[in-house]
Amino acid sequence: MPRLTLRRRRQLAGAVFALPALVLVLGLIGLPIGQAVYYSFTQWDGLTSTWIGPSTWTQAFHNPNLWTALQNNAWLLLAVPFALGFPLLIAMLLHQRVVGWKVFRSIYFLPTAISWVVLGLVAERFFAYQGTLNSLLHVVGLAHVNTNMLGYESTALSALGITFVFTMIGTNTMLFLTGLATLDTSLEEAARIDGAGRWRIFRHITLPHLSRFIQLAFVMTVIALFSALFSLIFVMTGGGPGYATTTMEFLIYQTGFAQGDFGTAALYGLILFVLTAIVGIIQLRLIGSDE
Amino acid sequence: MSRDTVDVAETDTSVERRVRARRAGRGALFVVMLGVAVVMLYPFWVMIVDSLKSENQFLAGHGFSWSSWRTLSSTIPVLQEVISSTIICAVSILLILAVGLPAGFAFAKLKFRASGVIFLGIVSAMMVPLQAILMPEFVNITRLGLTGGYTGAVLVYAALGTPFSVFLFATYFRGVPDELIEAGIVDGLGYVGALWRLIVPIAIPAIATVTVLQFIQIWDDLLVGLLFIQNTSERPITVGLAVLAAGRTTSIPALMAGSLLSALPAMIVYLVFQRYLVKGLTMGIDR
Repeated sequence: MPRLTLRRRRQLAGAVFALPALVLVLGLIGLPIGQAVYYSFTQWDGLTSTWIGPSTWTQAFHNPNLWTALQNNAWLLLAVPFALGFPLLIAMLLHQRVVGWKVFRSIYFLPTAISWVVLGLVAERFFAYQGTLNSLLHVVGLAHVNTNMLGYESTALSALGITFVFTMIGTNTMLFLTGLATLDTSLEEAARIDGAGRWRIFRHITLPHLSRFIQLAFVMTVIALFSALFSLIFVMTGGGPGYATTTMEFLIYQTGFAQGDFGTAALYGLILFVLTAIVGIIQLRLIGSDE
Repeated sequence: MSRDTVDVAETDTSVERRVRARRAGRGALFVVMLGVAVVMLYPFWVMIVDSLKSENQFLAGHGFSWSSWRTLSSTIPVLQEVISSTIICAVSILLILAVGLPAGFAFAKLKFRASGVIFLGIVSAMMVPLQAILMPEFVNITRLGLTGGYTGAVLVYAALGTPFSVFLFATYFRGVPDELIEAGIVDGLGYVGALWRLIVPIAIPAIATVTVLQFIQIWDDLLVGLLFIQNTSERPITVGLAVLAAGRTTSIPALMAGSLLSALPAMIVYLVFQRYLVKGLTMGIDR
């Protein structure tokens, strides 16, 4: 074996160390993207595929279910400000460090450990006809307003959105609290001594400091909204009533596994891929503009 | 009125007033925080209260009993499912560490031709949701005959977890001085030896972070377990619960008991290793 220089040997070692990860990611993430592109132009039932061509795409865009799913995703975006706002508030509360704040912190984060399958089950109990929501309405004297949010097309998506906001609270609060911990308190102190009010301190010192954390939380929240609702939908509504809670990711699952139309499901997958890629690019832009 | 001109007596009362206002503020804050705590503990309350009822008591809306817990293992195969979940988690995490740690080390310290581009490619795979590639992935894994046992699911979990772990390890190892590795090589350890004896020991915090994050992720996941594990006898607990819940024939108290049981391991891991989780989440902004 010819003697390699130290530099060459180091490079060779690096390539060998990186190879397993590369193979795994290429084989199970890279390759399927390519396959999805190919299969999106075919009629495919999982066993045999026949080439159809670009008309599969025009056909897909004429399918009202696709538009319903995209619309549902768009409506759910309205939950994002709440999924960021509540955690920001809660993080500010925790940051005041009142007695027992560490215990509160642990309690607030605890639901984050639970599967969204389980949280979906609990949410179903909350919104059920004989569930907590109606009991609460009863207590505040609104007994005549008997809700069954998951049972109606008009309200099921809102119930899903509310559940989503709840499931995101732990993670986003954690992010913001970490951000606040890195904030130099002497800066706030100095502003207070200079006579700045609470709102002005928040607006001009705290918020700008948190901007990177808010960006990260925003991207993570939107991505979760596009690709992590499956468990909630599967348990709470199964996509219904009708298509009222069918989002893109659930439509992919339904089209592929309930209807056996693998080709169209692969095509929908690519649409979802493009949507998340756009969010990712926005994030890169935002980070890029910072530096 | 400027601060300098305030006379002493007035300062005293204003300080007192401010202290009192501060106390009241803190008290109000505490009450608000208590309220938030009630909301966040709500899922646990529902699971505990509903699981402590028999089906009839649940339908009637009053009464408590242990019957749902006593008959739990005959309603839902919880033991078997917990074992499945544990095996899947353990093997997937081992694979993610075995593949991610050396790669992270390589990208940080043993740069080779095009390593920057390859690193970027692997890391950007983080942004690809499984649903986007679900159909080809499912067909590939099925064709390879890997949906029979745990292998298919483990491979998919490993592939999904690897990009983040590579990123985390690379970020972590960037802080390691080059001299340490060079010294190891000069001492005749070789690169594998240096990796095993020098790098792995200092990477324990990063290993812990990856392990905790992935444990919660995989333990709590539904989609992969649902599609890539064909035999119902090998189902992980989250999948078992979801399928029963979607079927709407299993009694709610039994489902709640199963849910609580399934939530316990992840909650314990979470409470014990909270700080590693926070570290993992904010990786990349702190540095």
